[in-house]
Amino acid sequence: MTVPKAWRFGGPPTAVHQFHPVLSPADAMSSHVFALRARLREWGYESNAYAVEAKAGAPEVLPYRRLFRTLRPTDLLLLHFSIGHEVFDQLAKLPARKALVYHNVTPPEFFTGLNDHAAVHARLGLRQLAGLVQNVDLAIGVSEFDTNDLREIGFPNTATVPILVDWSVYDAAPDESVLASMSSRRPRILFVGRISPNKRQDDLIRMLAYYRACIDPNAQLYLVGSYRDQPQYHARLIALRDSLDLGSAVFMTGSVTTAALVAYYRRASVFCSLSEHEGFGIPLLEAMYLKLPVVAYDAAAVGETLDGGGLLLPRKDLAEAAETCALVAEDAQVRERMVASGQRRVGAFATDAVARRTRTELGL
Amino acid sequence: MEVLGPSDGAAPDVDAILGEVRERIRRKRESGVYGPEVDAALRLPLPGGRPLFVEELGDPLPALRSAIDERVEYDPRSRRPLVGPFVTFARRTVIGLVRWWLAAVLERQERIERLVFRALIDLRERPNPGFDERLRRLETEWSRYRRDTVAADLHSVYFQARFGGDEPVIRAQSERFLESFRGRKRVLDVGSGRGTFLELMRENGIGAYGVDVDERMVSEARSRGLEVFAGDALAHLRALDDRTIDGLYARHLAEHILPGELVALLREGRRVLAPGSPVVFLTPNPRTLTVGAHTFWLDPGHVRPIPPDLFRFYLEVEGYEAVELVTFAPSEERRLDENVDGPMRENVRYLNEVLFGDRDYAVIGRTPFAVRA
Repeated sequence: MTVPKAWRFGGPPTAVHQFHPVLSPADAMSSHVFALRARLREWGYESNAYAVEAKAGAPEVLPYRRLFRTLRPTDLLLLHFSIGHEVFDQLAKLPARKALVYHNVTPPEFFTGLNDHAAVHARLGLRQLAGLVQNVDLAIGVSEFDTNDLREIGFPNTATVPILVDWSVYDAAPDESVLASMSSRRPRILFVGRISPNKRQDDLIRMLAYYRACIDPNAQLYLVGSYRDQPQYHARLIALRDSLDLGSAVFMTGSVTTAALVAYYRRASVFCSLSEHEGFGIPLLEAMYLKLPVVAYDAAAVGETLDGGGLLLPRKDLAEAAETCALVAEDAQVRERMVASGQRRVGAFATDAVARRTRTELGL
Repeated sequence: MEVLGPSDGAAPDVDAILGEVRERIRRKRESGVYGPEVDAALRLPLPGGRPLFVEELGDPLPALRSAIDERVEYDPRSRRPLVGPFVTFARRTVIGLVRWWLAAVLERQERIERLVFRALIDLRERPNPGFDERLRRLETEWSRYRRDTVAADLHSVYFQARFGGDEPVIRAQSERFLESFRGRKRVLDVGSGRGTFLELMRENGIGAYGVDVDERMVSEARSRGLEVFAGDALAHLRALDDRTIDGLYARHLAEHILPGELVALLREGRRVLAPGSPVVFLTPNPRTLTVGAHTFWLDPGHVRPIPPDLFRFYLEVEGYEAVELVTFAPSEERRLDENVDGPMRENVRYLNEVLFGDRDYAVIGRTPFAVRA
């Protein structure tokens, strides 16, 4: 299924570099790139991260143009792909070994009419992906769901390797001020992820309306994640929140530090996802790792990532979602068992195990 | 809490949890906590613009209509420091230059969109002569087939007069079950006919009413002062609320309907009957050969005979309890003389049983007392 077998021509690669159009200090995609870079260096490879745009605070990211000068034919370039970008067409022609790491592309339909810019890039992404079939030696999906897409598009050599998560990061002490702000006892529903129409935070807000009307008037919803990329959707979420009179119950935190993130996970009663498209869903794992029960609507790769570690909702019914969250939040026994099965599940993503698998699949 | 299942450290049982969740929602619906206001909140569209495109795709035609009429907004102003005003100026200039070219392209696009939209609406709303004709023919054929299968046109007073049941016999049969229905408030007789069973119930102070498809039967029963509705048995049961009747009686009904309809009727019965309610079904007994091979088929409305064991199985599978078969006295006419000696005596007795045994049998049962979780 894969080409490597020590990369037949001339042994393993001489250096392993990575590229993603945008790298920032906090998001899941970038953390994956940096965690992998650390491992690659540990294994003795020269390894750099390249981007078109490096957000402030991203550790030592090099400009992508340098690749055209420095990349040797025996080097391996990992192209992380989650959205279209003009640069991929240029990089695809570089004379080096190339592997695509596919994090899935959010279908453009989610952005149409809301964010034309994102819709255009998503559509471009799908077109570019088809073009890459001829230009990469290996295509890796971060979930079976993604790998299936790759096979359907026509990539001949595919493999599935999950995202490399450095779990030690989450053992950091939680942010005290966040803990203090969430000290009172009340049901708190948490969702972590960029504010984006495919993640359907609007449904979470509607669900909270049910929760407060029918279950507990003190319930709160925390939407942790950056809203910078989707200003229109964010503005409309606020309008929805206000027209449901939930101004004091829905908190949109924007992007947060890891310490704050850990605090949100620690203080929440339940993690609820009503997302309709996820290529992997790292926050689901984060919640399981930090012992928060997960209730999630079964869409795209969500079911595969959870795999029994949380409760999977087979249909999108907001009342059912709310009642399920309540049941999990209030019943200590159910909670305990969900936490236990979550811990078991997250064990499958242990950093060392995933790193070993990455190494094998890349023939390093 | 029982939704947990056995505590072997396994993941929680999703089905059990969802079952509990749906039960909670049902209770909140009933108590009015989950009322129309909450429904409205759950369906509130995202304010500030069109619904999400993924939602519009679910019902595209109305969305298409409003999308075609939507104005395209573009703000050419740039907010970049220093170069901003120049960028804005350049954009405005370019827009001004290509304006008429763009307008021509857009005009053509607009025409195409409107044509496509109109064509779609037409396809959906305009009658399609060929298709409609075929559909009409199929529907006619199908209803004719359904009628012919049971010779529905023959079901007349003449038929009833020649082959219809003898009222005293029917009454004697019904009396066998009087005790089961004693003290009931609302017993339903499906296929109540002339109302023989209902009269018996009335005489014994048992609340009962009937349903029958035959208008003539309904009016005859009503003329006797009985409460009878005209209509299909299954449709009537489906219209009833949960646990609203406390007994079910059906004489010579099961053999007139398809097996699937019988199962559906039993299932609906389980829903509408209060816990511990008796059910009685009477039907011709095909185990008696003169019935199964001959008299059963005297009524062209009979769809298929139901062997007693099968009927009992239907009830058990549908969750009725204390299911039993009840037989009646054999008919006395045309029996073979059993006054013979030796081994022949046993043979003749057996032959009598097989040929002239009981003509009808009943299967009885009741709904469970405790509602299972």
